[in-house]
Amino acid sequence: MIASANDLPDGHCLDADICIVGAGAAGIAMAMELIDSGRDVLLLESGGFDDDPGTQALYAGSVADERLHSPPDRYRQRRFGGSTTIWGGRCMPFDAIDFAVRDYLPHSGWPIGLGDLMPYYPKANRLCEAGDFAYTVAEAFPVPTRPMMDGFASAHFTTDTLERFSCPTDFGARYGHKLRAATALRVLLHANVTAIRLDPAGERVDTLEVRTLSGRRFTARARHCVLATGGLEVARLLLASRDRHPKGIGNGHDLVGRYYMCHVAGTIGTLRFTTPLAAVHHGYDISAEGIYCRRRLALTAQTQRAQGIGNFIARLHHPRITDPAHRNAVLSLLFLARPFIPYEYAKRLHGDEQVAARAWLAHVRNVLSGPLDVLRFAWHMLRDRKLAERKFPSIVIRSRANMYSLDFHAEQQPNPASRVTLARDVDALGMPRLHVDWRYTEGDVQTVRRALELLAEDVRASGIGRFDFDTASVEREMTRYGAYGGHHIGTARMGADPRTSVVDADCRVHGVGNLFIASAAVFPTSSQANPTLTVVALALRLANHLQGPGAKA
Amino acid sequence: MRQVLVLGSSGFIGRRVSLALAGADWASLVSDDARGPPGMDAGARRIVVNVEDPGSMAAALRGIDTVVNCLGGKPETIVRGARALFAAAGRAVAPPLVVHLSSMAVYGSAQGTMGEDAPLRGDLGAYASAQIAAESSAASYPRVVILRPGVEIGPDGESWSGRVARWLYAGRLGDLGPAGDGVCNLVHVEDLVTAIIICSQRREALGGTFNLAMSEPPTWNEYFIAFARQLGAVPVRRISRRALILEAKGFAVPLKALELAARAAGLPALSPPPIPPSLLRLARQEIRLDCRRAARVLDWTCRSREAALADAAAGWHRDAAGRPLRVGKADRPAAR
Repeated sequence: MIASANDLPDGHCLDADICIVGAGAAGIAMAMELIDSGRDVLLLESGGFDDDPGTQALYAGSVADERLHSPPDRYRQRRFGGSTTIWGGRCMPFDAIDFAVRDYLPHSGWPIGLGDLMPYYPKANRLCEAGDFAYTVAEAFPVPTRPMMDGFASAHFTTDTLERFSCPTDFGARYGHKLRAATALRVLLHANVTAIRLDPAGERVDTLEVRTLSGRRFTARARHCVLATGGLEVARLLLASRDRHPKGIGNGHDLVGRYYMCHVAGTIGTLRFTTPLAAVHHGYDISAEGIYCRRRLALTAQTQRAQGIGNFIARLHHPRITDPAHRNAVLSLLFLARPFIPYEYAKRLHGDEQVAARAWLAHVRNVLSGPLDVLRFAWHMLRDRKLAERKFPSIVIRSRANMYSLDFHAEQQPNPASRVTLARDVDALGMPRLHVDWRYTEGDVQTVRRALELLAEDVRASGIGRFDFDTASVEREMTRYGAYGGHHIGTARMGADPRTSVVDADCRVHGVGNLFIASAAVFPTSSQANPTLTVVALALRLANHLQGPGAKA
Repeated sequence: MRQVLVLGSSGFIGRRVSLALAGADWASLVSDDARGPPGMDAGARRIVVNVEDPGSMAAALRGIDTVVNCLGGKPETIVRGARALFAAAGRAVAPPLVVHLSSMAVYGSAQGTMGEDAPLRGDLGAYASAQIAAESSAASYPRVVILRPGVEIGPDGESWSGRVARWLYAGRLGDLGPAGDGVCNLVHVEDLVTAIIICSQRREALGGTFNLAMSEPPTWNEYFIAFARQLGAVPVRRISRRALILEAKGFAVPLKALELAARAAGLPALSPPPIPPSLLRLARQEIRLDCRRAARVLDWTCRSREAALADAAAGWHRDAAGRPLRVGKADRPAAR
């Protein structure tokens, strides 16, 4: 059932076997997995079914450098479905190397490996509505799809792994009817957990303190409590719960909120192909079960080790939209349509660049020069994106000049100085707000720079054209739009040793018997992959743990 | 040799049952299909029976040891046929064993796991009510076995294979999202025939009612996607909520009217036909048939989901030009 906390009497205490805080990708995935488990499950969600400015404002906070990180109330949604209400849907699993201890990458290494997640990835993939768990061309397509760059031979990169796209599925809209019909599961909307109260010994969660914006207060008590509130809010809740542990729960070694990672990403350089137009395929293929799939350039594990750099992938991309020199009607249209594109997408599409009036005119001229292209594009966007439930994932513009830029997405190394902390000011419920101080390292710049250099060498050696980029501009381009939005990783890292980690291999907070975390907060390293699929897989694994070995704890 | 009469022997299931009986060494087939299915032993006895007429039915039952009632089609045919059958059987000198084919539709709109003792609900239209009425006409007849199959598929099944295939090829069915999360209690027609044959022979079955469906049923989405892939009707489309509303509320009634008008005028049927709102309702329904009784009492097992779908898709491959074969075959089955 789904109910509203506003209808509960003040001072009430809710009991459950398992209480999950946060109805986003992780919380809903866990709830779905527990529906038929015989456990009494309580899912507390701060928001309602729709966007509510008052609730969303609870996410507001400050950032150390506005150029490097978006405000904390952007790229995440405090409502039923969580940030799956706005996500882009890109899915891919982590690579085996992401879990390994890499001596060249400080603080790397997970206490679990890819094999521990493999049993859960296929189901996670289904929940994300990304079809079969098939992430290579050979697995996903009985007849191989067109090569990404015909003639490209590389010892450093592969082009046969895929990213697959969710609808993108809003977990609340998609699975709400299942949660509503479930008898042993209660979803409580408008229920904000403001503190975690431990027992006198500080070793178990006694109660969760819950408040509504309408002024009600009550508590929830469960045998197992799971924080599924996203990588930023997990740290905030742990740090703000200080009655037994003055530095916050799980923070005896000053680790909560540290090692905060997003991804480093950007668009750079010019790839000019000398091969025929048809030899380049940078768009999507649709798998038999109807999923948009796309090849990408992926840096091999062997190369990462040999070069001592992090994980890295790249895609062919259109030229920068803001510069009308691309003379492309559709790109100029996108520039002019900027006010109608949601903030989260517009930022990476155009940035916040100031554009001169003359450039505006040039964009208008570009649009007028290609009315047919504009119409075709508008129809495609209307049919395949706006009206479609399975949305065409991104803008793919074929270059008549056979010229592309490179869109990269790279692993950020764990860095204790990159962190979120509690600010002095509080939100409407009296909870300290977050202060985000995201930082990158020279190692991150090196990962991107070295990968691009290798790519340039391989393109040249293959004789398919050339890739030019300004080595000196790498740092500027990878931080042009700041940290990649929406990927909040590492603030409660997983590890075997409580002195260097916050949760154990079962996602249980060290030293607190019944407190678990289902979030990218527990990732010790960030991979090249977008986090949602792995968050869902970890959540399913945790749900199974709580029904099996963890149930006895 | 036992004399076994198959009623509705020209239908999807009746035909398969007749073929199985024609090849059995313990049974002598009596068919109500004047032409008889292709490939059937010419030695079968064929009779003409007006199934809605008790007198005609009584005459048909003379000398019959077992009746397999596969009568389908219009609701009134189902009800009148069953009433005539059980009335005649009750008055017969040697009352025959009747294997009566009902349907999971008798559970109506119920959600959850349904055992055979679950209450019956006639809340899903005329077909479901007819099946309940047909079952109740057997209430005072002791020598009966009632079978309640789920969604029957097979290479020449029209309701759940043929028209579904055409909708999949036309991109009107596919991944329905939340609208296709219901349980699809598939049963392959040959597994159903096996159950019928077992019930005709096993004493333990007598007086029993049995649900029949595969034990690990897919959701409707999983069924549509897997069937489309078997058919080669790919890539599977995501059907939006908007399209489903249009299909069920906007187009269904005018398309149905067109279809009826076309039939009255002797024109070919629409292909594919309109998707009935009842199918879309079923695709949401989380009803799971509990078939443990059939497994326990009848030792009944059924083939895997993959094998069942592969066989159902076998008759539907594309021609050289990539067009789905047999698309024109949209005739409505008069019997099951």
